Amino acid sequence: MFKLNKDSVLGTFVIIIGFCLVCSVLVSSAVVALNPYKAAAIANDRQSNILKVSGFDVEGSIAATYKKHIEAHLLDVDSGALADNGLSQEKIDGYDFKSLGKKPETSEAIAKDDDTAGIRTRSKLMPIYFSKDDQGKVVRVILPFYGQGLWSTIYGYVAVDPKDGNTIKGVTFYDHGETPGLGGEIENPRWQALWVDKHVNDQSGAYKFGIMKHADHQGAGKDFQVDALSGATLTSRGVDGFSHYWLGKAYQPFLKNLSKGEIIK
Amino acid sequence: MTEAVKAPSAKQAFLEPLIANNPVMIQVLGICSSLAVTSSMKTAFVMGIAVTAVTAFSNLAVSCVRKLIPGSVRIIAQMTIIASLVILVDQILRAFAYDLSKQLSVYVGLIITNCIVMGRTEGFALKYPPLSSFMDGLGNGLGYLMVLCVVGTIREIFGAGTWFGMTVFQTVNNGGWYVPCGLLVMPPCGFFLLGSLIWLVKTFRKDLQEPREYDTHREDY
Repeated sequence: MFKLNKDSVLGTFVIIIGFCLVCSVLVSSAVVALNPYKAAAIANDRQSNILKVSGFDVEGSIAATYKKHIEAHLLDVDSGALADNGLSQEKIDGYDFKSLGKKPETSEAIAKDDDTAGIRTRSKLMPIYFSKDDQGKVVRVILPFYGQGLWSTIYGYVAVDPKDGNTIKGVTFYDHGETPGLGGEIENPRWQALWVDKHVNDQSGAYKFGIMKHADHQGAGKDFQVDALSGATLTSRGVDGFSHYWLGKAYQPFLKNLSKGEIIK
Repeated sequence: MTEAVKAPSAKQAFLEPLIANNPVMIQVLGICSSLAVTSSMKTAFVMGIAVTAVTAFSNLAVSCVRKLIPGSVRIIAQMTIIASLVILVDQILRAFAYDLSKQLSVYVGLIITNCIVMGRTEGFALKYPPLSSFMDGLGNGLGYLMVLCVVGTIREIFGAGTWFGMTVFQTVNNGGWYVPCGLLVMPPCGFFLLGSLIWLVKTFRKDLQEPREYDTHREDY
C-alpha cells in the first residue's frame, strides 16, 4: 500500500486538509444542533426582561406568563403609529432592531445634534410591548431603548403608563458592559425604583426627565429628576443621554398619540 | 520517537500543575483572562471550567494524533483543534447558560489564545500518551480554576459584598453598612492580588523559587 510520509509536502497538505475537514464538520454540526436551544435561550432572556417591567410576576413558566400578559406590536417611530403590517406575534416579538438599525434600507440616520444616545442610526420600526391585565386592559406600554454608556452600549426597557403616555412605570437594563459595582449598578433594583412615577414631559409638553447629580427631591423637579449613580458619572450621563434621545425625541410622537388616546381605544 | 524522557504517570501529570507547577502562579501564563473575569465568582468559575474542558480535551485530541501531525505545521494543527473546542464550549454556554455567556462575552472566544492551552498541547501532549496528557490538561485547567476562584472570592466579597451573587456584606447601596472597595473590581486589582498570591506561594514553598539570574553583590561582571 502507498505509504504517506507525514513530513513531505504532500503529506503535510493531506493531513492538514483532513484535520480541517474533521474539525469543521464537528463544529458546524454542533452549531446546527444547538441552534434551537440558543434561540430559546435568547427568547427566554428577552421575555424575562420584558416581564420585569410589565408589572406582573412570573407565574409558572416565563413563556406562559409572557404569552398571557404581553402583546407585541411594531411601531413606526417617526409617525408614532402602530405598523404591524400583518406580521405574526413571533416575528414582531423577535424583531431584531439591533441589526436592522444598522442596515441602510431599514434604518434612519440620526442628526448629529440630536444623537444624545451616541448610536448614529436606528431602526425605522421598533418592537413595543403592551402589558395587559387579566381582563385584557393595557396597563403598561413597554418601550426598548439603548445607547452608549461608558464602556458599552446599554440596552434596556422602559415601561410607560398608557393613560397619559407620560409617567414612567418601570425600567430595566438587560445588556451592558459597565464596571460591576460602579456603572453596573444600573442593574440595582433600588436605583431602578427611583424611576417609577417620574414624568417624561412637563405640563407644556416639553421633555424634562433627567438623571443628575443632586436631583431635586422636594422642589419643582421632584417629578422629573433621578439621582445619578455615585462613582459612575459617565454611565449615568450615558443613560441620561439615551433616555433623552428615545423618550424626548424618538418616542415623542408615539407618547403624544398615546396620551390623546389614539393608540389604545 | 526516542524514549529518552520517561513519561510521567497520569497521577503525576494531574497533581503536578495544581501547585508545584501551577500555570498561573509558577509558569505565569494566562494572566490576561484571569484579570478580566475575576471581578465576580460566577464568571470566574465558569471561565475556569471552560478552560479546564478545553485544555483537557485539546490535550487528549492532540496526544491521540501526535504521531500524525507533521512537524512543520504542528502549531497550526494544534490551533485547529483548540479553536474547534473553544467554539464548541462557546456554543454550549450560549445555549444553556445564556446569561453567563453574555457576561463573559469575548473572553470565552479568547481561550483560543490562552497561553496555557497552547503551552500544554505543545509542551506535553505532543510527547506523551493520551491518558497522561488528558490528566495533565485537567490538572492545568483546575490549577487555573483554583487561582481564579481565590482571586475572584477576594475581589467579589470585598469589591461588591457578595459571593456567587449571594450577599455576604450588605452594601450601602442596598441599605446595609458595607462600603464596597471600588478598586477591587477594577482590572489592576486583579494584578495586585495575583502578584501577592505568587509571592505567598513562593514564600511557603521555598523549593519553587527560581535561582537568581545575577547577584547584585558581585562586582566582577
